[in-house]
Amino acid sequence: MPRYFIRRVLSIIPTLFIVITLSFFLIRLAPGGPFAREREVPEAILQNLMKRYHMDEPLIKQYLRYMGDIIRWDFGPSYRYRDLTVNEIIDEGLPISMSLGVISLVLATVGGIAVGIISALKQNRWQDYVVTSIAVIGISVPLFVMGPVLQLVFGMRLKILPIGQWISTHGIKAVILPAITLSFPYFAYIARLSRASILEVLRSDYIRTARAKGLKESVVVWKHVLKGALLPVVTYLGPAFSGIVVGSIVVESVFLVPGIGRPFVQSALNRDYTLIMAEVVVYSIILIIANLVVDILYGFLDPRISYK
Amino acid sequence: MAKKQLENAVNEFNQVMKPVSLWADAWKRLRKNKMALISLVIVSIYVVISLFAPLLTSTGILIDYRKQVITNASLPPSFKPAGELVVKKIENRIVDLEKRVEEQQQQQSAFSSFFDFGSLDTQEESSEPSDGYTESQEGGFSFTYEGEGFSGNTTDPVVRELISQKETLERVKAELDTNPDYKIVYILGTDNLGRDMFARIIYGGRISIAIGIVGTLTAALVGILVGAISGYVGGWLDNFLMRFVDIMYGLPYMLIVIIIMAMIGEKARGSFVVLFVAIALVSWLTIARVVRGQIISLKNSEFVEAARSMGASTQRIIFRHLLPNTLGVIIVFSTLMMPSFIMNESFLSFLGLGVSAPDASWGTLVSEGVRAMESYAWQLLGPGIAMTIFLFCMNFLGDGLRDALDPQSKNRT
Repeated sequence: MPRYFIRRVLSIIPTLFIVITLSFFLIRLAPGGPFAREREVPEAILQNLMKRYHMDEPLIKQYLRYMGDIIRWDFGPSYRYRDLTVNEIIDEGLPISMSLGVISLVLATVGGIAVGIISALKQNRWQDYVVTSIAVIGISVPLFVMGPVLQLVFGMRLKILPIGQWISTHGIKAVILPAITLSFPYFAYIARLSRASILEVLRSDYIRTARAKGLKESVVVWKHVLKGALLPVVTYLGPAFSGIVVGSIVVESVFLVPGIGRPFVQSALNRDYTLIMAEVVVYSIILIIANLVVDILYGFLDPRISYK
Repeated sequence: MAKKQLENAVNEFNQVMKPVSLWADAWKRLRKNKMALISLVIVSIYVVISLFAPLLTSTGILIDYRKQVITNASLPPSFKPAGELVVKKIENRIVDLEKRVEEQQQQQSAFSSFFDFGSLDTQEESSEPSDGYTESQEGGFSFTYEGEGFSGNTTDPVVRELISQKETLERVKAELDTNPDYKIVYILGTDNLGRDMFARIIYGGRISIAIGIVGTLTAALVGILVGAISGYVGGWLDNFLMRFVDIMYGLPYMLIVIIIMAMIGEKARGSFVVLFVAIALVSWLTIARVVRGQIISLKNSEFVEAARSMGASTQRIIFRHLLPNTLGVIIVFSTLMMPSFIMNESFLSFLGLGVSAPDASWGTLVSEGVRAMESYAWQLLGPGIAMTIFLFCMNFLGDGLRDALDPQSKNRT
């Protein structure tokens, strides 16, 4: 187990290395630099700019310099936001994005499992039908349709919730709509997943034994069924978290949340090289660590899995 | 095609296989699943309409989705001709403006009466300093002025707009029977440039569905090839390919797609070929893994051994014996992959990194609708609902197919 753990943690390094290298060269090889704009910049100024950002050096030297900077967690100056370094942009947005992501993940997991339990225990009754239809709808409605529709209904028509921005401007209420939007598809999927696996476990022999022993139904459900049924949900947490991280890019754009999602889109459109690279690195680290945590968690929950 | 292959494969070994093949069996099971059948019908309707959209446009059933009629901008969904809606819209605007003029007047008169009491001046004198306001006051009281000789010297923008709106109303009413633009019926309303939403949604769906289908086919093809070779050959090749897949799996691929889309620039982005290649390049992984697993479990079965003992080549065994048997899984995965393709494409288009003008996918339409949703909600709801229904049906169909083709995994999600 410790050996597996160490190997998994070390495996972060090559993956990150590949992501950074791939993104670096994808960005540099594309035609048109960050200074190619509609109004042409005079040659002399362009030369100076290139020099300032070390873009006049050979590609391989730029690459090595960049790698060195990243190891020191220095992302350099932003090409577009002249007054800010990329580190400042990330430092400011990351806590907000992280809290939105974590709130959504908790909402999706807790809500999804709860609803899944209800649905499975009331199989083929109206509660079950309501849950299963909501679940399929949740999987089918894209985030960028769901978000604006919620804004329209609750923000513009009913006027009970703020349509955008974050806690600093609107208080805790501002979290509600973005978090619901972001968590809904995963909530729906987790509900479906836990319903299916609970139903499967309910039919298994050890549950029959537990019931035959005369255990109370609540004990059977809480101690026996849930333990066996939640494994698939745990496996799904990894993909769910990646989905939430990527989805947050759209949700942040829709709700004007001042996280790292909007700068990412902006930097991609503006060709703000340093900012894109930093965003990719940060997002990749989050995703890779999340997957690692899920893998290890899974090992603790399921003793049948052996680590080699 | 698939069916024939399967029968051929079976006949070779002189096995008597009744016509009730896997497919007939699956069809029987699928038919029992009402929701999946309804979904199949709806999906087929979408696909057929998308296929024949140019025909519908050229025969005049569908309005040209590029046709901009500025006078008909942002009309709500309705079965009435556009002219009536335009008249109603202008009339509403006029009522609105009149109300505002009246409000201004009340403020104005309150102000001037206060002024009167304070200065003990006469009414006539107090009206002198700003003739614009007093005139609008008079105009507001009676509403009999038709603008002549009066629009020239008024400075109040509200009054000015009121006058011009009234003029437009007259003009529209006069043209109501002569102008063909006012006879068009927009059942799903129009966008801010006066284009028919219904036609735009259909053409948007054409692009979205095309990207979904082509992307799925590409991803499936690459995935099947890699998975089949890896699973059948085994050994170091299998190891190498699967390590490669593992590493690719670890990459945050949506981020890479975003970078690719951002980097290829506005011009190349217009052709959506790039878009589906970008998405397809990174989504063959799951299929490769699934196919590999299936192949490995099948390659030691008796019928493969029989084929090998009869001297069939590796290629023949893979493509004629093994793959047809994994087709069920592949179909299920492809059906479930398509909605995610469409969602990813729309996701990029929504961010402004996907299909660019004049083409529009569902994602583009939704993002345009978001900008106008406060006043013209239908511009968001139309494409949003159209897209959701399609994705909903694809998901249901995929689930139904899984239950039908792979009964062992029933009730699993």
